[in-house]
Amino acid sequence: MHTLPQQLANGLLLGSMYGLIAIGYTMVYGIVQLINFAHGEIFMTGGFGALTVYLYILPDGTPMAAAIPLMLLGGAIVSVLIAVGAERFAYRPLRGAPRLAPLITAIGLSLALQEVVRNFYPGADKALAFPGLDTTHDIGSVTIKDADIFLIAAAIICMSGLAWFVRKSRTGRAMQATAQDPDTAQLMGIDTNRIIVIAFAIGGFFAAVAALSYGLKYGNIDYRMGFLMGLKAFTAAVLGGIGNIYGAMLGGLVLGIAETLASAYINNIPGMQQLGGQSWANVWAFVLLILVLLFRPQGLLGERVADRA
Amino acid sequence: MRFGGLTAVRSVDFTVNSGEIVGLIGPNGAGKTTFFNCLTGLYIPTEGTVSYKGTVLPPKPHLVTQAGIARTFQNIRLFANMTVLENVLVGRHTRTKEGLWSALLRGPGFKKAEKASEDRAMELLEFIGLAHKRDHLARNLPYGEQRKLEIARALASEPGLLLLDEPTAGMNPQETRTTEELVFAIRDMGIAVLVIEHDMRFIFNLCDRVAVLVQGEKLVEGTSEVVQADERVVAAYLGEPFEGAPGEAEAAEVAAAESTTSNTKGEAQ
Repeated sequence: MHTLPQQLANGLLLGSMYGLIAIGYTMVYGIVQLINFAHGEIFMTGGFGALTVYLYILPDGTPMAAAIPLMLLGGAIVSVLIAVGAERFAYRPLRGAPRLAPLITAIGLSLALQEVVRNFYPGADKALAFPGLDTTHDIGSVTIKDADIFLIAAAIICMSGLAWFVRKSRTGRAMQATAQDPDTAQLMGIDTNRIIVIAFAIGGFFAAVAALSYGLKYGNIDYRMGFLMGLKAFTAAVLGGIGNIYGAMLGGLVLGIAETLASAYINNIPGMQQLGGQSWANVWAFVLLILVLLFRPQGLLGERVADRA
Repeated sequence: MRFGGLTAVRSVDFTVNSGEIVGLIGPNGAGKTTFFNCLTGLYIPTEGTVSYKGTVLPPKPHLVTQAGIARTFQNIRLFANMTVLENVLVGRHTRTKEGLWSALLRGPGFKKAEKASEDRAMELLEFIGLAHKRDHLARNLPYGEQRKLEIARALASEPGLLLLDEPTAGMNPQETRTTEELVFAIRDMGIAVLVIEHDMRFIFNLCDRVAVLVQGEKLVEGTSEVVQADERVVAAYLGEPFEGAPGEAEAAEVAAAESTTSNTKGEAQ
């Protein structure tokens, strides 16, 4: 039986992963108002990129401390290239099209990426073993793995780096400007196409960080892992207020914690014995989304739509 | 410039020399804002070119700004959720070099460039008298100050030619006078100014030359006296039919096209 602090820690870790992926949805949405449904697959391919480095590039027996940076690099290259390529060849030609067209393209791309990985990556029709970081540490009543430490450290570094970048750098300011009014941003001399590419690239990089953490934590990856993680991360982005990067982080954490606590404790409530446990986790996650959207349609940190014309 | 079968601006041949303030006037729907949108690359002209300092400009807004043309908007288009200072810093985008990598690595050049950029932005804010509001959100400024901030943001890109689209729209006489002084001060900085305006007193006080645009064509161009004396201008403004005038229907279409594409605001004459 896990204790409450342990459940909170589990929720926080899961939530950090959602938050990292949610950044990709929210930044792209904030700038081009496109829901990139292929982002879950960008996450998935990042995992395969990292695994490829481990299996086929690094010599056997490379210590994990040395392998992880290179795996991250491999995963990031794959994810960023696919994200930027998708923007360039799938979404940009549809920039002026009705919004359904890029949405359907995104769904098609998502299926295509899954099938390409399943058919062409050796052994990918089943789950593939991923090197785990399973050494555990006890902190009070909480037990965490090395993989969890990696995840939480990576999430903190990425998120605070991004917040700084958007707020304080020239390119970050240009991103804010493009998100608020692309035409005017162009007239300020901002190459908005470049800004859009950067948004996709950052999303791809964050997805690769999340994918590496996923592999290290759960010890396996498969070609379908992007679907549910992507859907949950998208939920997190909407929950926090889509378009807002702080919202994506917050939404991820809230969703992760709520889901973990619900699946651990709801079956203690009389009459709800059947509704606890892992199999109901997704149900509670989406129930939370529905509740938030009922009372705060713009999400937790979102702005009223009228304000972001 | 044509929208479908409709010609919104037709053969407007127009030159602005450096150190000059030129006015562009015309009734509603004459194509003044459309003309600005063509100049700044927001619309790709169906025919014709825009050249600046002897080189033809590609119709890409960010390249036009880079070349040295900046503008303000008829309906204010500040970045409402950014601070006053940040708005001006965005305006400096083309004049700062720092890219993605140096920002991520925070090299020694980065802090220096940021500092220099901020200093220059503060100078501009002092110039328009908004330095004390640097950390306010743009959307919280009163209307007149938002207009000034837009001018500062345009100046931040260090233009050689500044396009002002109705800078005094909605201002009281006091604010209009301040704007007038501001425009003179900008001219004295060596920047050529092209201004669209409906306030005739403002235009004739300010401008060295005035061009009149009626239904997409240049009717007259000359000094204030020449333009004021021209009876075709009077006719165009008072709505009397003059020879060869296109029908009412076409004028209405021009107005409609302009308002859908650039949110042209309607004014009473």
